[in-house]
Amino acid sequence: MTLIYRGIVGLILLLVLRCLFDEKNFWKQVTAALVVIPLALRLLMLK
Amino acid sequence: MNMNFKFNPQGTKATALCLLICALGVAWLANRDFAAMRTLDALIPASGFEEHLLSEWFAPLRDTLLDTPVYVQSGEEPGGSVLVLGGTHPNEPAGYMTAILMVERAQVSRGKLYVIPFANRAGFAHTQPQEASPESMSFTLPDGSTRVFRYGSRDILHTLTWPNPDIYIHKASGQRLSGNEARNLNRAYPGVADGTPTERLAWAIMEFLRKEKIDLAFDLHEASPEYPVVDAIVAHERSIELAAAAAMELKGRGIEIRLEPSPKNFRGLSHREWGDASDTLPILMEVANPSQGRLRGRTDETLVLEGRDKAYMKAAALGRLFVPWDESGKPLAMRTARHLTAVVTFLSMMEFFVDESKAIEIDGLPEYQQLVDDGIGKWLHQN
Repeated sequence: MTLIYRGIVGLILLLVLRCLFDEKNFWKQVTAALVVIPLALRLLMLK
Repeated sequence: MNMNFKFNPQGTKATALCLLICALGVAWLANRDFAAMRTLDALIPASGFEEHLLSEWFAPLRDTLLDTPVYVQSGEEPGGSVLVLGGTHPNEPAGYMTAILMVERAQVSRGKLYVIPFANRAGFAHTQPQEASPESMSFTLPDGSTRVFRYGSRDILHTLTWPNPDIYIHKASGQRLSGNEARNLNRAYPGVADGTPTERLAWAIMEFLRKEKIDLAFDLHEASPEYPVVDAIVAHERSIELAAAAAMELKGRGIEIRLEPSPKNFRGLSHREWGDASDTLPILMEVANPSQGRLRGRTDETLVLEGRDKAYMKAAALGRLFVPWDESGKPLAMRTARHLTAVVTFLSMMEFFVDESKAIEIDGLPEYQQLVDDGIGKWLHQN
């Protein structure tokens, strides 16, 4: 079950990264970068 | 003068890369803090203690965050064996501070003492979400130096037990509880050898009790002052006579304590499962801790240490609490003194209410009033 949840987090992280690099508005890029932090920590099971 | 200031640069691949590097940097810094929380507080054991790890009794815990120190001291004279378990819930500091004081001060003359101060070691590696509790508490020693101990969470570390089930099913009985109880060590006994991390830890403690043939075992807790089972002993039916004798002795010394029988149909708790699945006499004790209560205001180190809160004064005036309350509150030194005095009182009853050969004698521990007056720092060793 944990692996499935980690897979979901990984998928969302990829989608957020796609938004980050496709986005033309800087402040929306900042928002996407902020969302990366908890997703990266949970994907690596650090928090 | 126009005060409107707009900074609205164009987002490019380069800005995205810079922001990603910044985000990963913040994640790395956060991880350093989280990783530091996984290091256990250092103890300075009294002479005579040997330090072991729980994995010596249940090997699958080795090299995991579930493995935890076990301190053992044998007296010169043979006698009974006792386990003092603190830190089942690392947001209940009187439990583990009692165990820590025993590790740092106890001198066993008869019998054998086992202390596990950080039973739920992984619970010390984080704080309870949405509780705004402090991460640590500090004690001033007589020489002016300080010792700092972590204040943790009731739960096993969330990254070890993620995701939570919607409903937690206690495997030995089929009992169904709220999903968050899957992370609660004191709902997991007798444990499952190949179960979830919580169940494996519970199984390890059961294996320890069985292999060491522990005669008497304490699980030390704290609870909200508005909770009915507080300033109380909860005893299995095999330990209820001993508990009744200890409660009377404590009342005779001016320490009010109530006695509750362990419910037979509420499964997974230490006072039930330790007694059913091993030969030990289990005792769970609770003291009143306002920093856990629902009525509390600002939750900081001062509240944990001093136990004073104006909302609890008001609740006491309205008769809503299950313990006596006044402006002096419930300081941690007093809560710890209650636990420590109760443990020593139980030990003094062993030879009369269990068996003469099971006597246990421990010296070097502070008396109730000494600990209340001196504070905990006076009884800790200097780093």
